[in-house]
Amino acid sequence: MFSGLNFDFNFSNDPDFWLFVAIFFVISFWVGYFWRSRESRTKWLIEQANLKTQQILELEKVNKEMLDKNRELYSKELALTMANKHLQSLEDAKSKFVSVTTHQLRTPLAAIKWTLDMAAKGQLGMVNDEQKKFLGKGLDSTNRVISIVNDLLKIDSIDEERSQYEFHPTDLIKLIGDVLFEFHNQAEIKKIRLNFVRPETNIPFLDIDADKIRIAIENLVDNAIKYTIEGGEVSVIVSDNRLNSAEGAIEISISDTGIGISSGDASRIFQKFFRAGNAIQKEPDGSGLGLFIARDIIEKHRGAIWFKNRPDGQGTIFTFTLPLHQKKV
Amino acid sequence: MDKKKVFIVEDDEFLRSLNAKKLEDEGYAVAIAADGQQALDNIPKEKPNLIFLDLLLPGVSGFDVLAKIKAEAATKDIPVIVFSNLGQKEDIERAKGLGAIDFLVKANFTLDDVVAKIKDILK
Repeated sequence: MFSGLNFDFNFSNDPDFWLFVAIFFVISFWVGYFWRSRESRTKWLIEQANLKTQQILELEKVNKEMLDKNRELYSKELALTMANKHLQSLEDAKSKFVSVTTHQLRTPLAAIKWTLDMAAKGQLGMVNDEQKKFLGKGLDSTNRVISIVNDLLKIDSIDEERSQYEFHPTDLIKLIGDVLFEFHNQAEIKKIRLNFVRPETNIPFLDIDADKIRIAIENLVDNAIKYTIEGGEVSVIVSDNRLNSAEGAIEISISDTGIGISSGDASRIFQKFFRAGNAIQKEPDGSGLGLFIARDIIEKHRGAIWFKNRPDGQGTIFTFTLPLHQKKV
Repeated sequence: MDKKKVFIVEDDEFLRSLNAKKLEDEGYAVAIAADGQQALDNIPKEKPNLIFLDLLLPGVSGFDVLAKIKAEAATKDIPVIVFSNLGQKEDIERAKGLGAIDFLVKANFTLDDVVAKIKDILK
């Protein structure tokens, strides 16, 4: 077919041809290589871009979640603040209720008490024995209500946890002096001598919740006076017991010449609402909370309380200890 | 011998009349005020030997009355017994700080106890 052309088709003998072929292959290879590598690079870049996009999306998601959580935290904090405020106002309302109640109830109760007392004593006109007996019963009942109202104030402090106590360095000697001042009238009426025996040397201020310790001492002194007959004696003795105890402690004793505690009642004397038989006889009005509250307060101060009957059989000595310092536990 | 005069500041009418009756029966002269302002107006005129002062009063409070009595030269030496149904530690301490010589919670005492107290102070 090509025979008419003077053309040498025997390429295999032409070195230029092979050079051309070689160059063609080399170029094709490189072109192919570059093209392929460019393509795979593009692919890689796209992948990377996708990955980044995904990461960004994820980050955005996490960020959104964090924002949501933040918002949630904020609203929870708000709710807590509100709850706290609510509690505070409840606490205020409770305190107000207690103080208003005591005042509002005590005023008419005082009127009833004075009237019945005067009537029973014949100061409002002659009364016969029968009338006197009934007026006396009325007076007893009134006194019982008054004592319950007075206990309302004390009950207020029972439920508090140690963590709610406010410990501050306090002059215990002054505090006891204040408590005894409160009771001097009550003692005077019963002609009971009220002694205060201070330690020989000054004692340091104690880490205590003064309001609470005051209640504990009030309850102990109140009992001592209540259960001591006319002409008796009540003493509060403070002794510095720091040298005799492992931990620095101050010892406070309240000693009376009262009716004493029978051995049968000894184990239950600190129980809530427990009242010893001879105590009920001597003083029908009482809630059985005084010693329970006193022990609760003293133990929350990491102190201890116990009692023993006086060696002469004339009355009881309650003793409690208070550490100098409160460990922050 | 002149009767000793006791001034009672008390807003509750019944408590006031019971207290006044009791003290008159015991041989004291009695002057009364039903609120803080009346007390401030009349105490200097009456010149009592002793004042019984309630704390929660309409208008001028018992604490204010106490502070003013103790600030006036003419009345500052008259002994004041606070006779109230408050009785929280803060109230007692505040009254003591203002110069009250005693603090009685009404419901915890009978009028005989009160008379014994007065006799003791005015002897």
